[in-house]
Amino acid sequence: MAYLHKTRIFSIFFAIFISNIILLNGQAIPDKPYPPMLVNDFAGILNVKQTRFLEEKLVRFNDTTSNQITVVTVQSLDGNSPSMFATDIGLKWNVGQKDFDNGIVILIKPKLNNSDKGHAYIAVGYGLEPAIPDAIAKRVVENEMIPSFRNGKYFEGINKATGILMSLAAGEITSDEYSNQSRPDGFVSLIPFLALVIVLLIIRNSRSRTHGISSHGNGSLLTALWLGSIMGNSSRHSGSWNNFTGNGSGFGGGGFGGFGGGSFGGGGAGGSW
Amino acid sequence: MKRNWIIIIVILLLVFIVYGWVKGTYNDMIIQSEIVDKQWADVENVYQRRADLIPNLVATVKGYAEHEKETLEGVVNARAKATSTTINADNLTPQKIASFQKAQDGLSSALSKLMVVVERYPDLKANTNFLELQAQLEGTENRIAVERRKFNEAARSYNTSIKLFPKNMIANMFGFEKKPYFKSQEGSEEAPKVEF
Repeated sequence: MAYLHKTRIFSIFFAIFISNIILLNGQAIPDKPYPPMLVNDFAGILNVKQTRFLEEKLVRFNDTTSNQITVVTVQSLDGNSPSMFATDIGLKWNVGQKDFDNGIVILIKPKLNNSDKGHAYIAVGYGLEPAIPDAIAKRVVENEMIPSFRNGKYFEGINKATGILMSLAAGEITSDEYSNQSRPDGFVSLIPFLALVIVLLIIRNSRSRTHGISSHGNGSLLTALWLGSIMGNSSRHSGSWNNFTGNGSGFGGGGFGGFGGGSFGGGGAGGSW
Repeated sequence: MKRNWIIIIVILLLVFIVYGWVKGTYNDMIIQSEIVDKQWADVENVYQRRADLIPNLVATVKGYAEHEKETLEGVVNARAKATSTTINADNLTPQKIASFQKAQDGLSSALSKLMVVVERYPDLKANTNFLELQAQLEGTENRIAVERRKFNEAARSYNTSIKLFPKNMIANMFGFEKKPYFKSQEGSEEAPKVEF
């Protein structure tokens, strides 16, 4: 029995070992960023302010619609085709939510010098393929990104492309649909609190009638403070639902909670300049 | 009397443990096999998607390049051959995968011939409908490459699990068979470049 058990453990380890080798064949694909970020400027073509602006914009979009758009810039594709590189990032990082596969990877390999070629590619997760067909992705790359990139204006091109992709993607799943499916208990758990607040307000109001005007003013201030603290709690509560991947968010409030397990099938389009 | 009981209990315990292990392993293999089958369906889907693009593509090219009848017919015939070669997922054998791959590769090469011919027609290359088809076709080739790779990964993980000791005993007992792979020939792991 002990022998059997040992070989089984061994076989499990061996299987893990083998599957690691298989999965790691795309060596050039960068590791998932930690802490999780949506803007990953490995090539260093954006300044701090631009990165922060884009990050905030994409995090907000993730929080409201659950669609995850990540921007990745690299110095080199290491001989991979841009389509494979971008798709592999999506697969390796699991961009998008597990149930919706609603991730987008915007990959940019900047043109480093005159003899070099720049590449841009938009990889679209399974779930967003109907909202952003290849022909549309191609058009975004050709019309929004490459003209700006050609002039070295990377931020401008990324900003324009993300704006368009956001409005395209948002038409596919509404934030309502998503919140109905994945956080039905978010609001429900608030109902007892709200009921308590209303009851206390009624009690305070009826009391202040018997006491003087001064205590009425005091009471409403206290209630307001107390209400405020509950509201604060509830907003923090709703801010953490996108955290279910297990990656703790180190930021207060607006930080990106982590990639959600989405998958890619090779959809999207790109171009070069 | 007491010793007999102990022996019976030990035997029962052993039977129970072995049963649990066999059941777990068997179910695990079934699940893995289902994953491979599902992935095969995805592979066929993306090939079908490519086949679906072709009538529209042929019609568009025809409007601009009437003289290329032969090349266009080649594409239409290759498409017919490719769509008629389908495999049931629970009937995957190396021979069948090879013939499937051959039919699809025939379509790939007919398509690339067409794309070379298209170079001679600047009007066609400026046509918006054609440009959209071009983007769709490129995307489909990427999808084919991705789904084929996913299929191979699923098959490899399944094959590894049925071949390793001691699971292989169970695999033999219940007749689990090795799943075939897509052969990556002529660098077909990479999406074939559809240059226009």
